[in-house]
Amino acid sequence: MTSAVGRLGRIGLSSYFTLLVLFLYAPLVVLVVFSFENSYIQALPWAGFTTKWFHTAFANSDLTSALRRSAMIGLLDGLAATALGTMAAVALARRHLFLRPLWTTLLLLPLVVPYIVLAIGMVIVLHQLGYQSSLSAVLVGHIAISLPYSLLVVLPRLRTLDASIVEAARDLGANPTKAFTLVTLPLLAPALVASVIIAFTISFDEFAIASFIAPPGSPTYPVFLYSGTRTPTLEPQVIAIGAIVVALSMVLVLSAEVGRRWADRRIASA
Amino acid sequence: MSAAGSRERRSASFLRPGSGLLILPPTVWVLAVLVAPIVLIGLYSVNLKTNLLGVPTAFSTANWKDFLPPGSNPFWDRFKISMTITLVVSVVTVVAAYPLAYFLAFVAGKRRYALLMLLLAPFFTSYLLRVIAWQVILNNHGVINSLLWQLGLRPHGDGIPWLIYSKFSVGLVLFYSWVPFVAVPMFVVLDTMDRSLIEAAHDLGASRLTAFLRVTLPLSIPGVIAGFVFVLIPTTGEFITPLLVGGPSSFMFGNSIQSFFTDTPNWNYGAVLALWLVAIVLVMLLLFGRYLSTDLEDAAT
Amino acid sequence: MTILEWDGYQAAGTKAQTYKTVVFGKDYTDEFGASGLTYSLIQNDSSAINSVRTGKKFDVLHPCAENFRDYVDGGFVQPWDTSLLPSFANLNPALVKGGQFNGQQYAIPWDWGYGSVIYRTDMVDPADATGWELFWNPKYKDRISMWNGATTNFEIAALKLGFPQMDNLTNDQLDQATQSLIEQKPLNKFLWASEYTNLQPALTNGDIWIAYSWQDQWVYGREHKPPIPFNFMQPTQGRLGWYCGFMLGKDTANYYHAHKYVESYINHAAALSLTNTFYYGSADATVKGSEIADQQVAKSLSIGDPNVLSDTSKVHLQSWEPNEVAVQTAWEKVTAA
Repeated sequence: MTSAVGRLGRIGLSSYFTLLVLFLYAPLVVLVVFSFENSYIQALPWAGFTTKWFHTAFANSDLTSALRRSAMIGLLDGLAATALGTMAAVALARRHLFLRPLWTTLLLLPLVVPYIVLAIGMVIVLHQLGYQSSLSAVLVGHIAISLPYSLLVVLPRLRTLDASIVEAARDLGANPTKAFTLVTLPLLAPALVASVIIAFTISFDEFAIASFIAPPGSPTYPVFLYSGTRTPTLEPQVIAIGAIVVALSMVLVLSAEVGRRWADRRIASA
Repeated sequence: MSAAGSRERRSASFLRPGSGLLILPPTVWVLAVLVAPIVLIGLYSVNLKTNLLGVPTAFSTANWKDFLPPGSNPFWDRFKISMTITLVVSVVTVVAAYPLAYFLAFVAGKRRYALLMLLLAPFFTSYLLRVIAWQVILNNHGVINSLLWQLGLRPHGDGIPWLIYSKFSVGLVLFYSWVPFVAVPMFVVLDTMDRSLIEAAHDLGASRLTAFLRVTLPLSIPGVIAGFVFVLIPTTGEFITPLLVGGPSSFMFGNSIQSFFTDTPNWNYGAVLALWLVAIVLVMLLLFGRYLSTDLEDAAT
Repeated sequence: MTILEWDGYQAAGTKAQTYKTVVFGKDYTDEFGASGLTYSLIQNDSSAINSVRTGKKFDVLHPCAENFRDYVDGGFVQPWDTSLLPSFANLNPALVKGGQFNGQQYAIPWDWGYGSVIYRTDMVDPADATGWELFWNPKYKDRISMWNGATTNFEIAALKLGFPQMDNLTNDQLDQATQSLIEQKPLNKFLWASEYTNLQPALTNGDIWIAYSWQDQWVYGREHKPPIPFNFMQPTQGRLGWYCGFMLGKDTANYYHAHKYVESYINHAAALSLTNTFYYGSADATVKGSEIADQQVAKSLSIGDPNVLSDTSKVHLQSWEPNEVAVQTAWEKVTAA
């Protein structure tokens, strides 16, 4: 078979790919490297090695409580968005559904409406209703933007589920509840976990809505990050915590990938 | 509502008539959080509602007339500048991502999913953090400038003027953020392409270049367009990147909308800009939506 | 408590307060600790009032006189109980009066000062540095930084254009000022948004030679080692003048704490520390010249005499703007242009 790419092409493409990967990882490396920088100012030459910013960062209760707040909202968002996304997926997986294009369009709308519009829209609605800005309002917004991602993760999985397996369970005498909990749900589990993780990531990183709606006394982590970039004494701490967050999300992504492969292999061999 | 109760209802309805009603809770959520505010924004834009004290509400298209051409208006100019940045970034990103997808599909072999993951992993770390890292790199006294000073390539203290707070820095960071993601739809199309067509072209005596230009490239166009839209739509409403690495000359349309709510009390005018942005995005969706939906159908089957 | 405050004014004892010498807020943090205080920093007067308009709630706010009325009319604040503020009696009567609305004390004045052009005397030709028009001098392109200060920039443009009523421009004047600011915009390296992270480093390391600022940066340059050659201009058209005060959030759950907090700022020692740190004037009428560390600076700025704010030959007091919406919309046009 003639290859689509020649030897030179292979070398060229491989080097290009390598360069781009370096480019993609460079900022992350910079973040980690400068989290150990002794000076307030992140510049070369290196002023010295220190781990003090990690200590000061973790001793900074404003920062740690912002992290905790965002983790909490992210987790609740993950669960709620996955629940709602799964409901939508179950309905959309049906062969017949009244007004299907309308539902699909509506549910995928949060993917395209700019977050800035969503944020000011929520400000206007809260103003209209006379409600205060609050973290619950942030959560409500985050659920709306995470929902379509959840749907996009769960629906394909649901479609690929072999209906005959569920039917077989029913034939063997399982009632619908049992069939769902014993057969459908375990098969759906990897998608549900992925959906929770994705929704968590979206919420944990979301700035536009939170910057408008989070109460000033209780900023979420991204809002705190943003204010940190404007305060020289905070910047090194922001970078230190940032390095940890980057490292953790890398671990999370890698383990999710490994987990996915493992699950795929298990399903394939089953 | 107990957890057990809800589970029972869901399972009972799965694969049975009636489960279609499950579409309602998520739809109502989106309607309340997304659609209702946009309707309200619409009312503000024509002055049927206002946040201003002592200002009567009455239908008026004055703000729309002020914003839309003919007639010069800085927000309209800003919109054009912003769309130019968006289009340039989208095109450059697609062009840069295509060889990545091509490499993964035709060169990487068995390792292609692992390498795709390698490409995508930074995408899953905090966007804000990555932009902050770019700040550290591009700053006047940042990594690049201080490195140039160390190496004696530029006089100490004299930073490259266009490195930050410029269209360049905004474009660079947007490109950086989207390039791995844009490679995905192109990779999917190239990877699932019928290779026998390429072989047939070779058998008929076509060179690699001709085969690429005549067969591979045209067949991958849906992926290219999908990738283009993946970066085009979110970048159209972008405002965080210009906020952090942009300057007065490189603020985008989203920044104008944002500051109408953070810095001025004139929500009515801000609503005009916001609704215009929504309209533009929806037009883009109408134009390109089918490329996205086929992609979704592929993923779903 | 959540406090809407200018950077630098955080209470002594909080982590955000980096000046170790200040004592404002100290009585409060000594008694109740610093951990209960959360600060939200003001970027400019307009964004402060408008963040409140978008629904942000604070216990204590620190706006300036030009917006006092907006906070009152918007229903965002409530009057203070001055009987809970022992040092209130020491405050300058004229400034105190400026904080009264509907016969009640809505704002407790604390600080006053000037806004003007600060420039590096080692870089800028003295012949060029006579008035506000220095911002428009193309010779200094990319060495200028005006403030991302919305309405303030219209006051500057009005002074430069010679409009007497800088806070009540006619539509025609507003258009001219808008055009003028659009012409000025490309000369800026950036519009500074944060005094300590944007402006101060850029002025210190020479990225910027000319900026809008308050007198504290000038004093910072004098006290810097080695001193930074700054001048704080007395423009031919006059400086801008301002005073600010504490306001009490409408729905605060910390009514008594808020009073304690403000008392810890307006007492004599605290007011003196404001002046000796930033060389701003304080509303405390009992501060004596002999108590001020650098009397030469104090004299040149007329500190101790807030009445200078009404001397229109030298200073133009930034005051409430009836056409605020139009001015701020015009500022948005400038930033978008």
